[in-house]
Amino acid sequence: MLDVTNLQAGYDCLQALWGVSLSVSQGEFVALIGSNGAGKTTTLRAISGLIKPLAGQVTFMGRQIAGISADQIHRLGMSFITEDLNLFEGMTIRDNLLLGAYSQKDKKKIKASLDYVFDLFPLFETRQKQLAGTLSGGERRMLALGRGLMSEPHLLMVDEPSLGLAPQTVKDVFDALQALHRKGITILLVEQNVNTTLHISSKAYVMEKGEIVLQGASAELLENAYLKETYLGAR
Amino acid sequence: MDLNTLQNLLLTGILRGGLYALMAVGLALVFGVMNICHFAHGEYYVIGAYAAYFAHVTFGLNPIVAIVIAAILSFIAGAVTEKIFFFPLRRFNKGEWIMNAFLLTAGLSVALQNTFKLVWGVRYRGITQYWDATIEIFPGMAIAADRLVALGIAIAAILALWFFLQKTSTGRAIRAVSQDERGAMLVGIKLDRIYTLTFALGSMFAGLGGASLLSLTPAYPYAGVRPLISSWFVVTIVGLGSVSGAIVGGFLVGVFESLSYYFLGQGWQDVASLGMLIVLLLFKPSGLFGTKVKGVLEK
Repeated sequence: MLDVTNLQAGYDCLQALWGVSLSVSQGEFVALIGSNGAGKTTTLRAISGLIKPLAGQVTFMGRQIAGISADQIHRLGMSFITEDLNLFEGMTIRDNLLLGAYSQKDKKKIKASLDYVFDLFPLFETRQKQLAGTLSGGERRMLALGRGLMSEPHLLMVDEPSLGLAPQTVKDVFDALQALHRKGITILLVEQNVNTTLHISSKAYVMEKGEIVLQGASAELLENAYLKETYLGAR
Repeated sequence: MDLNTLQNLLLTGILRGGLYALMAVGLALVFGVMNICHFAHGEYYVIGAYAAYFAHVTFGLNPIVAIVIAAILSFIAGAVTEKIFFFPLRRFNKGEWIMNAFLLTAGLSVALQNTFKLVWGVRYRGITQYWDATIEIFPGMAIAADRLVALGIAIAAILALWFFLQKTSTGRAIRAVSQDERGAMLVGIKLDRIYTLTFALGSMFAGLGGASLLSLTPAYPYAGVRPLISSWFVVTIVGLGSVSGAIVGGFLVGVFESLSYYFLGQGWQDVASLGMLIVLLLFKPSGLFGTKVKGVLEK
């Protein structure tokens, strides 16, 4: 579904990615893990079109998408939930969700997506008129997820959903992601929270200094000696 | 001061405020969505005035038709301006957007004024009235039909914009862009389209003002200066980029001006307005309705 080959990207004169290759197949839950500054977020930004890749190929649903604009890529069926969420804070929950289905002109389908999201997150149904800016940290993540799902994406990319949340809320967010995956949604998740992430994902890539240093099935990576020593604190 | 005088003053203020609100709404929209301090807004007022003049006087069209044509032409003028000037500026701009866009509008203002002068000369092109009628509001207080219709047009246009922003998918997208451009891009909104539409709408509001008040202020190359200053005055008072604030502010400034005109005389009217602005900015720099949340319609 998504194939990234030798992707290079960066900001102004600072290159952050030095040839990243990864692939996500239909129905997979893929994690991209690594420490701060490894280039995980930059990878997602370059894939989603928020920044233009310097070199490399990105193929999504059989189309070459490197270099085309973010709104176009979204319309091909990719939802990117950024780490700062980019919610429309002065607008209601309902408006935020409806904007998630902006490219969808069929009213029936919008209604169906809305019901689908309300089914996942029942609290939004009763609080449709509430402003997004007044939600708590965890609720915001859920709203961003909900907005991302409104377009019925083929692929959901989520950047650090656990950032700045209380442990219980982190668990809620991860549960929601797992539930989505069980419903058949393909997910590419970026996380620093290595242990939990490896427990819920099916495949994982480990990034360091702008490169993929390790990859494999999540269950196997949990047993990997290097990973244990570097990220899981075992000796 | 008796009740009658007060009624008169309030009415004059509201009539005047309608235009201010109309102009200021356009300005607030352009700033709120595109971050442009628009100093050529008055020139679209002039385009509207010229368009209405030629449609009504030269082609002898019905006043309402003439005003509608003026609105459409100023909408198109705004869209074309956005595509020719701001679109490339956005493409090549590296930081400093607010300053660059402001300078562009300042230059555009001079260029347009001189274009008007070149094409139509400095002659005043006005009409005495669209409709030969006066309407008695209170006993002893009759108003020219033109002014009431202009107020009606202003209110109708603002209500229509309100409905458009609140209830339609495109309107919602405009509000989304004003709040979070990256978020808007990530839900598939084509930013360039929204920008062009916003600038065109803003220009249309200015053009409507120029067209509906043609009997009060004739069309001539520099006719836009005065309305520009007034509308900037309004948006500064209420807080930049707030459309709902601009509506209230327009009427507020209209009434304030008509009161200060009565009590202080014409020469002091501007002093009173600017004094109020200074005091307001001293104590509430974000404007009367200014908030931290960015957005054209949000509180």
